[in-house]
Order: sequence, then C-alpha cells, then structure tokens
Amino acid sequence: MNGGTEVAAQWTGFSNERMEPRMSNLDRRTLVKGSLAAVLMGAATSRAAFADAAEPIMLGVSGPLTGPNAQYGAQWKQGFDLALDEIHAAGGINGRKLAYQFEDSQSDPRQSVAIAQKFVSDPKIVMELGDFSSPASMAASPIYQRGGLVQFGFTNSHPDFTKGGDFMWSTSVSQADEQPLLARYAVRHLGLKKLAVLHQNTDWGRTSRDYFVKAAKEDGAEVVVTEGYIADERDFRSTLVRVRDANPDGLVLISYYSDGALIARQARQVGLTQTICAASSVYSPKFLELGGDAVEGVHIGTRYFPEDPRPEVRKFITSFKAKYNVVEPDAFNAYSYDAMNVAAAVLRIGGTDRKAIRDAFLKVKDVPSVIFGSVTFDPATRRVRGAMNAELVVHKGQFAIWDGKPT
Amino acid sequence: MSSWLDYTINGLIVGNVYALVAVGLALIFGVSRLINFAQGSIYLVGAYVGWVAVVQLHTPLVVTVILVATVAALVGLIIERFGLRPLQNSVRIAPLLATIGISFVLDQLVMLTFSPNPRALPSQLPDVRFQIGTGTIGPLDLLIAGVGIGSALLLFVFLRYTKLGWAVRATAQDRDAAMQMGVDVNRVNQTVFGIAAALGGVSGMLVGMYYNQIDTAMSLQATLKGVVAEVVGGAGNVPGAVVGSMLLGLVESYGVAAFGTSYRNLFAFLLLILVLTLRPNGLFASARQAPPEPLTGTFIAPSRPVRIPRWALAIAVGAFALLPLLPVSAYLLQTLINAWLLGMLALSLTLVAGTVGQVSLGHAALLAIGAYTSALLSLRLAVPVGMAIICGGLMSAALGTLLISPSFRLRGHYVSIATLAIGEIVSLVILNWESVTNGPIGLSGIPPLSLFGYELTSAESVYWFSFAVMVLLALLQGRLLGSHLGRSFRAIRDDDVAARAYGLSLNRYKALAFIFGGFAAGVSGGIAAHLYSYINHETFNTQQSILALTVVILGGLGNVAGAILGSVALVGLPEAFRIAAEYRILIYGIVLLLLVRFRPQGLLGTI
Amino acid sequence: MAGTTPLLSLRGVTRTFGGLTAVDHIDLGLGQGELVSIIGPNGAGKTTLFNLVTGLDRPDAGEVRLGGQVITGFAPEKLASRGVARTFQLGRVFGNLSVMDNVLIGAHARLKAVKPPIPLIGPLLELGLALLRPNSVKAEEERLRQEVRAILARFGERLLPRIDQPAYSLSYANRRRVEIARALALRPRLLLLDEPTAGMNPTETAEMQALIAELKAEGLTILLIEHKLDMVMRLSDRVVVMDEGRKIAEGAGEAVRNDPKVIEAYLGHGLSPTESDEREPVA
Repeated sequence: MNGGTEVAAQWTGFSNERMEPRMSNLDRRTLVKGSLAAVLMGAATSRAAFADAAEPIMLGVSGPLTGPNAQYGAQWKQGFDLALDEIHAAGGINGRKLAYQFEDSQSDPRQSVAIAQKFVSDPKIVMELGDFSSPASMAASPIYQRGGLVQFGFTNSHPDFTKGGDFMWSTSVSQADEQPLLARYAVRHLGLKKLAVLHQNTDWGRTSRDYFVKAAKEDGAEVVVTEGYIADERDFRSTLVRVRDANPDGLVLISYYSDGALIARQARQVGLTQTICAASSVYSPKFLELGGDAVEGVHIGTRYFPEDPRPEVRKFITSFKAKYNVVEPDAFNAYSYDAMNVAAAVLRIGGTDRKAIRDAFLKVKDVPSVIFGSVTFDPATRRVRGAMNAELVVHKGQFAIWDGKPT
Repeated sequence: MSSWLDYTINGLIVGNVYALVAVGLALIFGVSRLINFAQGSIYLVGAYVGWVAVVQLHTPLVVTVILVATVAALVGLIIERFGLRPLQNSVRIAPLLATIGISFVLDQLVMLTFSPNPRALPSQLPDVRFQIGTGTIGPLDLLIAGVGIGSALLLFVFLRYTKLGWAVRATAQDRDAAMQMGVDVNRVNQTVFGIAAALGGVSGMLVGMYYNQIDTAMSLQATLKGVVAEVVGGAGNVPGAVVGSMLLGLVESYGVAAFGTSYRNLFAFLLLILVLTLRPNGLFASARQAPPEPLTGTFIAPSRPVRIPRWALAIAVGAFALLPLLPVSAYLLQTLINAWLLGMLALSLTLVAGTVGQVSLGHAALLAIGAYTSALLSLRLAVPVGMAIICGGLMSAALGTLLISPSFRLRGHYVSIATLAIGEIVSLVILNWESVTNGPIGLSGIPPLSLFGYELTSAESVYWFSFAVMVLLALLQGRLLGSHLGRSFRAIRDDDVAARAYGLSLNRYKALAFIFGGFAAGVSGGIAAHLYSYINHETFNTQQSILALTVVILGGLGNVAGAILGSVALVGLPEAFRIAAEYRILIYGIVLLLLVRFRPQGLLGTI
Repeated sequence: MAGTTPLLSLRGVTRTFGGLTAVDHIDLGLGQGELVSIIGPNGAGKTTLFNLVTGLDRPDAGEVRLGGQVITGFAPEKLASRGVARTFQLGRVFGNLSVMDNVLIGAHARLKAVKPPIPLIGPLLELGLALLRPNSVKAEEERLRQEVRAILARFGERLLPRIDQPAYSLSYANRRRVEIARALALRPRLLLLDEPTAGMNPTETAEMQALIAELKAEGLTILLIEHKLDMVMRLSDRVVVMDEGRKIAEGAGEAVRNDPKVIEAYLGHGLSPTESDEREPVA
C-alpha cells in the first residue's frame, strides 16, 4: 500500500459524497459545505481519527450514478440503504455504524480504475462493492488485487471476474447455475420443445444464452433460433419475424425489463402467440408497467417473488415498500440488498483489516439472502452456488406463482 | 415469401418513426446548413412533457399535442436565440459543436428532473389493431405516418409556394444576399427552428407512446438514426428525408432478415457510408451537380496561438516526470495516467481535426483497433507486450486510415458524420466478429504492461511509461508540424481548393495525417488494453470520441501542448469534482458551449 | 500563333449545368510568352473556363492541351506539377499560415528531396523524411525559403516585413499579392490570373499592372481575366471576349473594343465597354 496516505488525504482534497441512509438534498448540501470547511481545516486533522469508534466503517462503491446505466446505480442505492437500516437497527457492526461512499464510474473502465486507486489509497475504505458492467469491474481488478482491497461484485456477471485474484468475490448468480433453472422451467415444466432465444448482445447476455442453449438441449429441447440484440434497441418487429419463421413453440427472453417489455409487446403486435418465458433479469414492477397487457401470461424464472414465504424475502419486500412508498422491489434492489448484508456479515467476522476481510469471506456461513436463501462462498470459485428458484407468471397484471397450468 | 412482405412492412413502419426526426433535421439543415445534433434531445423533451401531460395532468390527446408542440417550440427558440445565433458569424465548426453541447445539457436536465428510470407513456388512442400482412398495426402507426408524411408535404408546399417559405430558402442559399433583399434572416431562422422543434417534440411523444416507453437514452439513438436518414435522402431535402427514412428502415429490416438482429445497426451505418461515398449530396441529387460553392471563410477560428517558450515546456515535462517521486497518492497518479492515455488520443485527433481540418467524431475506433490488435497478439501469439503495442499502433495506422478513407472526399460536417458512422461500424464489427474478438464476451486476462521482460505494475511505473510514450509522440508530432507536412496539412485545412491548385493531393495528405494519428491512437489503445486486462466492444465508444474532441477544442485545434493541457484538465477536473457527480455531464456540456461561444480557438489557440 | 505549337490550346470546350450552358464550345490558343486577356460581362463564364483549364472542373465536351499534350480533366494537383499556376477571383490565401508558408506552398509541386516519386511507399517515405530531416531535405527547404524571399522582394516593402505574419491579418491588397507570390513560387509555365486587381485602388492596380508587365517581359505565358479595360489594353497581346458562355470576339485590343457585338454585349448587360475606374497611371 502507498505510504503517502497523509498527503493522499490532502490531494484527494474535496470531500466525497459520503452516503448515509436517507440523505435528503438539504443534508447533502450541508454536508458539502461542511466538507469544504473540513478541507480548509483539513491538513492538520489527525488521521488517527479513523480508529474512533464513533466513525462509521466505510465501504467504497464504484458504480453508475450518471450515464447510460444510471438507473441501476439508483436501484443499488435503494437496496443498500434498506439493508443499512436493518443493520443499524440490529446494532450495527459490533457497535459501529456502516456507511458507503458511492463514486460515479459511469460504468466506464477509465473511471473505475481511478476510483480503484482512490479506494485502495484511502485507509478508511475497508471493502469495495461494484462495478456494474464487466469492463468497468474487470479493468479495476488488477488494482484491487495488487492493493489488497476486496472487490465485491454483485451484478457484474462475467464468468472470469473472480479469476482476477483472491481479492475478487462475487454474489452475482452464475449463469451456469441460473440458466439450467430457466431451461427446466421452459422445457420440462412448460413443455416447450422448440425454442427461440432472444438475448442482449452483451457479455452477460451471451454467456447466459450459451448456458441456456446447453441446458435446454440436455433437457431434450431444440433451440431453433437465437437472436442477439443491442441493449438500446427498441424495434424488434423484424427480429420477431425471423423468430416466427423458425417456427418455435416458445420464446425465451434473456433481457432486462425495458427490452423485455418491448419484445413482449411487439411479439403480440407481429402476431406471435407463443408462450414467452423470461430470465430473472426482467423481474421488476417496471416490466409490468412498461409491458402493460402484452406481458400477461409471460413466465419468469426468478429467485424470489412477492408472496415468497421465506422470512428474509418477507422482510425485504415489506421494508422496501414501507421505505420507498409502496413501490415493489426488483432484481437489482435485491442484489444490492443482499450484497450489503453479506458485506456486513463479513465485516462482523473480519473486522476492519483488509486482509482479514478477504479471509472472512470464506468463514461466512449461511447469511440469509433473498437471492440464494443462504450465502456460503465456494472457495474454489469465490462465488456462491445454489440460487433460489421460483417459477412465476404474470397474472392479471401481477407477478404470481405459476400454478402449473398451461397459459 | 410472405415473410418478405412482413419485413417490408416492418421496414416501412420503422422508417416511419425515423422520418419524424429526419424531417426536422432536414428542415433545419435546409435553412441554416447545420446538422442539429440536439434534435434528439428536443425529441426527448417532447416525450417527457408528453408524459407529464398524459400521466400527471390527464389532458386529452389534442391538448397534449398542443402542449408538447408549444414547449418544444419554445425550447427550439431558446436554442436558436441563445445557443446558435451568437455563433452565426463564427467559424463553421462552432454551431456543430454547440449543438452537441446543447444535447448534453438538455439530456442531463431531463435526467436530473425525472430520474433515469424508463417510464411508460400510455397511448391515448383507442386500442384497435388492423391486420396487415401477418402482423398488425394500430392507430399510432397511422398517426405517425400522418404526421411524418403530412409535415413533409406541408413543409414542401410551404417552402415552395409561400413568401415566408421563399425567404427561408433564400436564406439557406445565401444569407447575405437574402438580408440585402430585405429578408429578416433572424426571424426566418427562428421560425424554422420553432417549427422543427415543435415537430421534434411531438415526434418524441408519439414514439414514446408507440413503444410505451420513454427514457433518457432515447435521445442519442434518435439523433443518430435521424441523421443517417436525412443524409441518405439528401441533407436539406425534406421529402428526401422521408424517403431516406423509409429506405433506412427497409435496409435495416432486410439486413436483420438476411443476417440476424445483431447486424441491424451495421447495415444502417454501411448504408450511410455507401451513400456518402457514391452520392454525397444524397440520393436525390443529380450526379454531376455544379460543384458546391467553395466554402469561403475558414473552418477554424483565426487566432494567434499562445507561444509557450521551450524552457517552460521543459520545466513542465520535468515536473510531471518527477511527480511520482513525491509522496503523492496512487489515485493522483492513476488520474494522470488516464490523462496521458487520453492525451495520446487527443494528439492524434488534434492533428487530424485541428491541423488538417477533418473533424472526426469516430476517433475512438482507432483506440479499439490498437487495443484489440495488441491484446490478441499478446494473448494468442505470445508476442511480447511492448512489441504488441507497437503493432497495435501500426495496425491502427494502416487499417484505421483505410477505413476512414471514404470520408476523404467529403467536406465540412459530412466528414464528421461519416467518421461517426465509421466509428460505430468498427464497434459493431468488433461485436460481431466473434471468431477473432470473442464478440460481446470480450478479451480477458490480457497480460499486464511489461518492457523487456519487466512487468510494469506499480502506479509509478505505468505512469512513467505512459508519460514517456506520450511525450515522445508529442515531440514527433511537433517535428512533423515543423516540416513541410505541417504547412501542407494546414493549407488543406484552410482552403483545400487552393491547396489542390498547388499540387497538394488531398487524399495523400489526409492519409498521412491519419497514419500518424492512427499510430498514436493505436498505441494509446494498446497500452489501455494491457492496463485494464479486459476489453470488449464497449470499452472504446463514441463517448470517448466526443471527450477527445472536447479536449482538442479546449486546448486549441492543432495545438500539441494544448491537447495535453486539455487532457489533464478534462480528466483532472471531473476527478476533483466527484462531489458534483450527478452534474458532471451537465457541466461538461456547458463548458463545451461556453468554449465554442467565447473561445473557439481554445485555451492555447489554434495553430 | 505563328506555326509553333501553342502552349495552351482549347478546342470545343463546353460545360453545362442543368439547363444552363456556362461555357459553350470555346476554342482558344495561347502561344509561348503571350499574354491573352479574357473579358466579358459578369456571368459570361470566364471563371468557369479557368476552372475547366485548371482541373477544378471537368468539361462536358472538348479538349484542352498543354504544350501539345492532352490535359483535359486532369486533377489540379497534376497540373501544378506541369507548371500551371492560378490565382482566384476571391483571393484564396491560407489564412492561418504565415506569408512565408503561403508562398512555400506554391513551391510544393517542386519538392524533390522530401517527396521521392516512388509509387506506393512514396507517401510513407515522405512522412519518414519529414520526421528525420536528412541534410538533403534541410538544404532544399532552405533553398526554397531563399527563393521565397526573393519573390517577396519584388513587392518592395509590402510583404517582406510581414513575412511571418498570418495571412488573415494582412490587408486585402497584400493578400492578393501573396497569392501572386505563391503562384510565382511554382515557377509556372502558364499563369492564370483571375481578376488580380479586383477591389484594389488605382495605386495598387498600377503596381499590379507593372508587375504583370514585368512577368510578361520575363517570358511568362499569362491568361488574364480582368474588368479594367485600360489595363487589359495595355498588357494584352490579344483580347478574347466572352458573353453567355460563347466567344463573341477575339483580336487586338482596340479592334475588339470597337466591335459592335462587344458593345452590344456590354450595353445589353447595362455596362459601358469604356468603363474604367482608374485614372491614367503615372509612369
């Protein structure tokens, strides 16, 4: 680690956006003024302050607050803040509060790399969470690895992410685990034999597609056509004609909620009546809002669902709706909520020493999780196996457990 | 066979949607010879105003349309009055850049007001479907067609047969003459902007309803496709814009039919390049028109560059070289490493755009070519990293120049459009050419930087390496500019007609500039690849190209020291202002606008 | 003229734009060392004719020969290396370049050391040589700079003191002089001047006229477009009159001036053929 931490603090000069739960604009402005004042007095402040028990334990978050993926960053914050409420209500981390510092990377590798250096050089930061996209995450990995700071990814899904080193850990569901579940739903349960797969043409989308196709074939189905599209695409009509011409009996969507909704709507407009089965990434109240009537009857394989009786899910959904005004949480909220809870569990075991934190990931057992049920890390892959599974269908404009009847 | 009917219908339906933007663009181009890159942002504003009207105010459709049109027209008027009119006597590059800055500002304002989440925008029309082919269309399709074609027709009649319309066309042809004839040129411009903006706003609302989805990313897509459609139809040609849009829609549709969805945008941009190469004036211009009146006046602001004495430069270089020896944080070093890599790209772009006057909006493609070449050589063929990076530079020089060469015959803003398209094409080819590039999965595990067997992993060593490479490239470029090539490049920029008359082959010198610039950019990309250890098609994108252009303008077009200063500023300041994270892009857009308005020659002046 | 191959010869050169015939079957011959002026009302097609000869535009029909060799439709770059230099009606200098650089560009076609005429890799060699700057390249550059100074000296104190200033900062008249200097740097066989004194006051016009006479005396072949008829009469061996794309008269100055067709053309366009906006220059 860099010996120049004293000067480092001065160089990083302007204070950063320190996020405490439920920060209003007024608080933020006050904090800005306060921070500037602190900077002016700053140089003389003793750095021993961070050992003070009154100061929160700091996590660094690298993710998109602006730019094309900004909406996901906003959802992360919702999940984090919700988890922090609960963590603090339960006494915090051995009596201390937990807080995060969210730096806007815009999912850009250039910025995530600079942020990585920043976090690594800042002794207050004990662990990093993020980034959103694979290029941004993986570009920063070498720095986290060399700098000895855990890089904890929870939505970046590139299969090679954890190969960056033993400081790379991830709770993002491996597609190797998730896609067979989706395949089982589509092929074995819904009885679809000839599938058309539409997927985002990103590393996540492609990896998912490859695993899905493999699993579907193993289950005895035929994938008659796969179409990869650019994430921003809005018009799918011609794609759907191609799909139609391949004569599938079902469509599989490996999409996010916006594109998923568009595809579902346009499929009906193009005259496709086949069953649609989608991956968990569409699971969001937005899918219902944007899709309207067209998503009625769409099947979704998710990790949890609104009526899920599991206590961790009930707690999550109820608190989320209470905190955020009756809005239902979606998959990204769940991932970040889980991540924060896992981070807290790790910190309870590992303390604030960065190496000990890394080692604590292996010691963590059975942390309650919306996505996994309970989290234990696999030492070989530094990931978590065994995601939960729920088979849902959109019924009367709501997500409901699929009752096994054909739609 | 019925599928082809469906593909055709779908192509026309999509073309319909594109036409809405293209007509507005054509109208503005027709009057002020300006490609309005902010049209997509007005479209966005319209969509969101529509949302407010429909979802919050519950206004009936007619009122919604009027409301959206009015607000959008107002926005258009403001843009014209405060963003563009002050630039009317400025150099030709200024309005182009101003509209880019305006688009950033508008998009960010919408995002800050409404949050980035996509929203549904319910259609207020009855939910009937009409069978057509094997699919269906709805009342919105018809409404959109009506608005698109109707406005094109109306505008056509207006421009041809009314007095104000003649005034508009006169202004477009020759502003000064029109003024002398008593035309109130400012009012004409305002009127047209207002109309085009109203149309744009209503289009955004209609399209939002059509897809039942609006979000802040709509703006860029709309602008890109609209520009393609408009150029294909013939810039400034309003009916041509409609036909161009239909053609674009059909080409995309058939492209998807024949090759698959991931090739869709590739076909769109290839169509654009094809048209620009064969019929730069658009499909409806006659092949051998009178050569366009040689564009008088320089493209670049005349200025006296700030001459920095050699010793001052030497001290600055020395200071930066010694910086890692001081107790500074790795964060600062990393920030500067980003600045040096951007600086190499900026050097390349300032040569091409500044010195030679080819304002390229696709320069990030050169980074990508260099990065992938270097990464693949070291991953697949175990070529030592240093050598791989040099090969990346050479490949970028050769292939990059070859790919950009179709733009050599173009002038003014067409160069920018063509290079933008070429940049997108490179990115799409990288995405689709999976056997070589791994497609969207990208290349991971790229070996770290190493020189003569020593790995460069500490922040200091990477800093010194990239700084040294940048300084070397800057020195070479300085030497180049001091040679006969320097004056040759600048002669081409200032007046390519006169340059040709004195023996300067445009293709040759533009190619040489891109070869040198391509090498610099390719090396930068190669270094980045080994630094990040993972790259994919998104790593080097249009945003990087626009950032590089802002750097170049900030520093001063053609100015080597300026390019480096600009890079440090535009990398360093956002890092210093992480506090204002949500406002960064907004500030960036405002900075661009202010620069273009008050100091188009940049901080250190154009050379 | 008298039996020898004309330096420049045009036969049946035609150019139409849409419905308009800008240049209509023009025949023209220019002997070595001659100075021929082309006059005619505005819109007669004179500049278009220049464009057709210098490669900026291609004739729809007809033939252009230089020194007996066909050059129809050749690109301007190629013609530059064959010794054809021109100035432009609107005065096109390179605004951001210094006077020195402007004139040096004129000599571009003559560069040898840094532009080896080797096909394919020639451009790359040019790049390499520009970066390396071996002695031969440096020497050539220095030689050319001396030449430029000599050319600029012909303009007295007008340009030399401003040799390093950017062209955009010069007065209009000086910019036009730079244009001429640039043309001379090419060491042309054939010089085409398009209204070199447009917008100049009587003194400046007189200086320009004297310079052109000097160049003629040195043996340069010149094709001149001008409106100032006194100047035309004094300088020209022959005068060609164009109207609406056609050649309507050709011959010695006085003869042409009094040709009723010519008077008709000018009067019909509202101009008097004796219009002269200068007084008799002194000496």
